[in-house]
Amino acid sequence: MKFILSLVLIALLSLIATWYLPWWSLAVVAFLVCCFLQQSSGRSFLAAFLAIFLLWLGFGLWKDSGNAHVLATRMAAMFGLPHYSLYLLVAALVGGLVAGFGGWTGSLVRKAF
Amino acid sequence: MRWLKAILLILITLVLVWALDRPWGAVPALGRLLDPINGAMANADPAKDVFPDIAHIRGLQQPVTAWIDDRAVPHIHAASDHDLYLVQGYLHAYFRLWQMDLQTRAAGGRVSEVVGEKALGFDRMQRRKGMVYGAEHSLKAMEAEPHSRVMLDAYRDGVNAFIMTLNFRRLPLEYKLMGFRPEPWTNLRTALLMKYMADDLTGATDDIALTWLRDRLSPEEFASLYPEKISGSKPVIPEGTAFAPPSLTVPSVPDIPDSLFAHFNDRDTTSNHVSLSVRPCRYGRGGEGQNAECKIQDSDAVGGIGSNNWAISGRFTASGAPILCNDPHLGLNLPSLWFEVQLQTPGMNVYGVSLPGAPGVVIGFNDSLSWGLTNNYRDVKDYYEIYPADKDHYWFNGQRKAYDYRHETIGIKGGKTIVDTVPYTVHGPVQYDAQQPDPSESGKTLAMTWMAHRPTNEMLALHDLNKARNYDEFVQAISHFECPAQNFVYADRAGNIALWGQGKFINKWKEQGRYVMEGKDSLTLWGQEIPAAENPHVLNPPQGYLASANQSVTDDTYPYYYNGMFYEFRSWRINAILQQLANTNDTVATVHGKDTALHTGRRYFLVPYSRHNNGSYSFSGTAIYVGQDSVQNDVHSYLADAMYPFFSAAGNDTAWNESLDKESTTATTFQVWWALLCKNIWSDDFEHIPYALWPSPERTMQLLRSDTSLAYYDDRKTPQVENRTDIIMRTHKETHDSLDKLRKTTGLEWYKVKNTTINHLTKIPAFGYTGLKIGGWGNTINAVKQTHGPSWRMIVEMGKDSIRAYGVYPGGQSGNPGSSRYADMLDHWVDGKYYRLLFLPNSARQQSKQIRHTWTFKPA
Repeated sequence: MKFILSLVLIALLSLIATWYLPWWSLAVVAFLVCCFLQQSSGRSFLAAFLAIFLLWLGFGLWKDSGNAHVLATRMAAMFGLPHYSLYLLVAALVGGLVAGFGGWTGSLVRKAF
Repeated sequence: MRWLKAILLILITLVLVWALDRPWGAVPALGRLLDPINGAMANADPAKDVFPDIAHIRGLQQPVTAWIDDRAVPHIHAASDHDLYLVQGYLHAYFRLWQMDLQTRAAGGRVSEVVGEKALGFDRMQRRKGMVYGAEHSLKAMEAEPHSRVMLDAYRDGVNAFIMTLNFRRLPLEYKLMGFRPEPWTNLRTALLMKYMADDLTGATDDIALTWLRDRLSPEEFASLYPEKISGSKPVIPEGTAFAPPSLTVPSVPDIPDSLFAHFNDRDTTSNHVSLSVRPCRYGRGGEGQNAECKIQDSDAVGGIGSNNWAISGRFTASGAPILCNDPHLGLNLPSLWFEVQLQTPGMNVYGVSLPGAPGVVIGFNDSLSWGLTNNYRDVKDYYEIYPADKDHYWFNGQRKAYDYRHETIGIKGGKTIVDTVPYTVHGPVQYDAQQPDPSESGKTLAMTWMAHRPTNEMLALHDLNKARNYDEFVQAISHFECPAQNFVYADRAGNIALWGQGKFINKWKEQGRYVMEGKDSLTLWGQEIPAAENPHVLNPPQGYLASANQSVTDDTYPYYYNGMFYEFRSWRINAILQQLANTNDTVATVHGKDTALHTGRRYFLVPYSRHNNGSYSFSGTAIYVGQDSVQNDVHSYLADAMYPFFSAAGNDTAWNESLDKESTTATTFQVWWALLCKNIWSDDFEHIPYALWPSPERTMQLLRSDTSLAYYDDRKTPQVENRTDIIMRTHKETHDSLDKLRKTTGLEWYKVKNTTINHLTKIPAFGYTGLKIGGWGNTINAVKQTHGPSWRMIVEMGKDSIRAYGVYPGGQSGNPGSSRYADMLDHWVDGKYYRLLFLPNSARQQSKQIRHTWTFKPA
């Protein structure tokens, strides 16, 4: 339950935060959420990772679907990726990773202090 | 232990964020870019056009409406000039901001600020050319004149109103990739854009090259190989047109024969490596060194920037109304150079293409008249050799004269700035010296006098031209268009056609400025300006048609001296087609092949090839309808036609129609054969001269046709003496070998070998298009080369009751690589197809079903 709650919270708050603040504010969000909702380090990492991975993938797919894949295809080609979906996937992985580390850090800080 | 682990994780997270939030070399800040909410994917425009309904803009006086049509062309209706150009600025920025920014940065030598040190050499040369110096002069002139002032100020405010709406998420994609932000637009930026065009169109010069060659060849040989005007030219202003007697006295050559021209012969020619502004263009798909031996004679840089325009009197058209055509050939890039727009105020209703970065319409038509441009190519840029006396002085009229210094501050990405001090002489800026040698690496100190440095006001010309209602107003309007000089073709609804070789020119003595001049004497300075009314022009000539394609401007009866870099092949071909149209009673011109189909069921026409028909042509009785779309897309090679007897002598395809059709393999054979033939004739005689400076293809063709045993035919490296037949037969053999290589690499179809490519301005391959399936070459009307070609094709019929116009350009209205409007017209352009242009009546209400969206601009 806590896992789902933190995942949803991170995704939602990150969407709001990054709308106004730099993209890396999502790491701060993940950190804070995992700080307050205590879970194991692994679960914190996973919740934060999945939150942003899914948010970014979902947002990317949504933008892409209205765009007839024009931009994602070009971006994929720019990064040497053979298919537009791979660009969205790679982007989501990177975002997820940053959030995951933020969340993991949050849970550790909570435990340490 | 736990806190140690926590601190370690904090550090790892911070490093991760830091690493992803900054650029690494050419790699942009990945975190910012990959974020789909604010980064690249935020630029994924909806595939179906979505535009705002309303925008509030500070400074607007009255509401303005922009109707966006089904090709995303805005049709702007405003109550005043001010409001009109303000919204044009806003919309240019909306569609093309990054392109406007980068092109004007390039013009003013400010690219290093955004890409770093690698652009420093480029920026430095832009400053040395006096690009900013010239733009500042023009800016002063434009701001001193009330109409152009309103245009500039309003346009600037419109661009800035759009920039104000941007946050990182809304920035054009390229800003996110390159990691910089737009700065407020200034009138200087617009002035720089005008100079960017002036540089593109008048910047190339053969002065230095000709100075070299003049010293190396005997006067007879030089005159024969490098004639000022090629014999048989069909000039822009038809032969026989009467010119008014000159109001100025044409100056005689100054009586200082030894001090007129510089000499570049003080170096050992055999060891000298001359590389005069030549960008060799090779066959093959980017293969460096692959087929290096078959360089194409006219490279992209030389002869690539040309254009065609023509007008046909109503006497020879199916509808009885005059038809005007224009296709300016420029470097093909994405975002496209042009942006289509319609502009309406109470006194004006004009449609055409505009340059993002400047207000007004540059090529197009209004509800009274139409006009088109080709580059005029008269030489308006001359070099002077400067004799330095000491660090701060040079010799002039026997005295020491102090340089004026202009300090050019060049910013470099990362914070560093360097200051380049450019010395200015009475002749203009010192462009070349020992540190920045000229392309021939002479190391001489060369200053440049250039019309683009003068305070000209082309903005006023566009202002007046867009509103002009008749021929007199047209003439008055274009008199302000001074640099770059253009051939303005004209057709109006009253049935007139006209052509002007318009620009600001100097009353020169014979050969003044053809070679690098001695700069130490005031007698070589530029003299008076020729009054615009005395520029070569013609109205309603008896022949009933007019055409310009960068050829010589006049015959020898024009009273003033000029020289220039003229090209003849396209002119010969267009004139042949139009002449036949005029001389044959049963051929008539139509705007578009669709009309032809309407009348005959036949879409395309054929013009006779002299080889097959010996110049004569007979019809079967039915009228032949000549769609101007097929003329603009004509790929018949005049050169191939003329060279056919030699080309076919070795058993090459005898049924060939001498056209550079996209899938023709014979076209490839011919192109390789011709390039090798030129090489075999000239390379030994001009061993250290790059091929672009060998005698022109036109002249080579004439020599081959008229002479069987010129000394040039002989290959000096072989003991025997070759004649024309020998050298042609040898070329055939070599051609065969080259083709064998091509067959294995690219394939032999002409379009594959030519590999027409349209790059994004950043040259990111994923944003460009390559291997376009299109025929033609620089010497055919459809002059599509590797990276140059028709940047806008327009055909307008100026009927008394209606105006019908067609157009297409290789790109799309949006500058966003993430938009489906980025290159949506490219396929049509490749296929030679056109769009019917939507010319709305001048009204506050519109009925057209092609209007997809109404965008209202209101004062904030």
